[in-house]
Amino acid sequence: MNDNRRQVLEMLANGKITAAEAERLIAALERSGNHGAGATAMSEADKVKYLRVLVDTKDPLDGPTKVNVRVPMQLLRAGVRLTGVIPASARDEVNNALRKEGIAFDINNITPQNLEELIEQLRELTVDVDNENTKVRVFCE
Amino acid sequence: MKGEILPPMTATVHVKPAGWRHGIRLWVPLFLFWLLLLPLAVLALPFLFVAAVIFGVRFWASIRAGLSLLAAFHGTKVEVENANTRIFVNLH
Repeated sequence: MNDNRRQVLEMLANGKITAAEAERLIAALERSGNHGAGATAMSEADKVKYLRVLVDTKDPLDGPTKVNVRVPMQLLRAGVRLTGVIPASARDEVNNALRKEGIAFDINNITPQNLEELIEQLRELTVDVDNENTKVRVFCE
Repeated sequence: MKGEILPPMTATVHVKPAGWRHGIRLWVPLFLFWLLLLPLAVLALPFLFVAAVIFGVRFWASIRAGLSLLAAFHGTKVEVENANTRIFVNLH
């Protein structure tokens, strides 16, 4: 146990902070510790869990329609893990196809660590499309 | 969610077709489907293994990745609703 964590627990034991505050502080310490070490491992509670898509339309025929989709981020993680079992020859073909389309991307560079960083960046992502008849909102939670 | 390898075991489906006053709320035991599929999957394993060897795919890694992909569907929710119809699917 490091000193910072011990301090937080002592503050909790002395009643200086609440359990919720202690939890937040420890989570913040874990985050800063992980970033400092260059690692991307995060506590489960901090991870982005779902991608949400909300659509609200006013169709002239069907009337107002609402769509609410919640996609687990774990699905994205599992999908990327699948790329790990693609044979090397197939990966090269994928890379070549991407290059032909003008996308300079090497799928060999996708690692679980990179993916976690990407997903962590998605935490801040919010896409709002708003027009007269349709509202679309995409965000992570 | 971490470490889960089992696919969704149940689903909640709520359907209210147009013109119906009340909808149908169903609890779907997906585990029965997986149980039915299991013998077929076991029978298919040798063929999949041969195919993996031929195509140079890591067999057990593929099985693990496939299982984790199925397991990742836990918590998926789709809800579509308009004035007349409502469809709600939740995978547990």
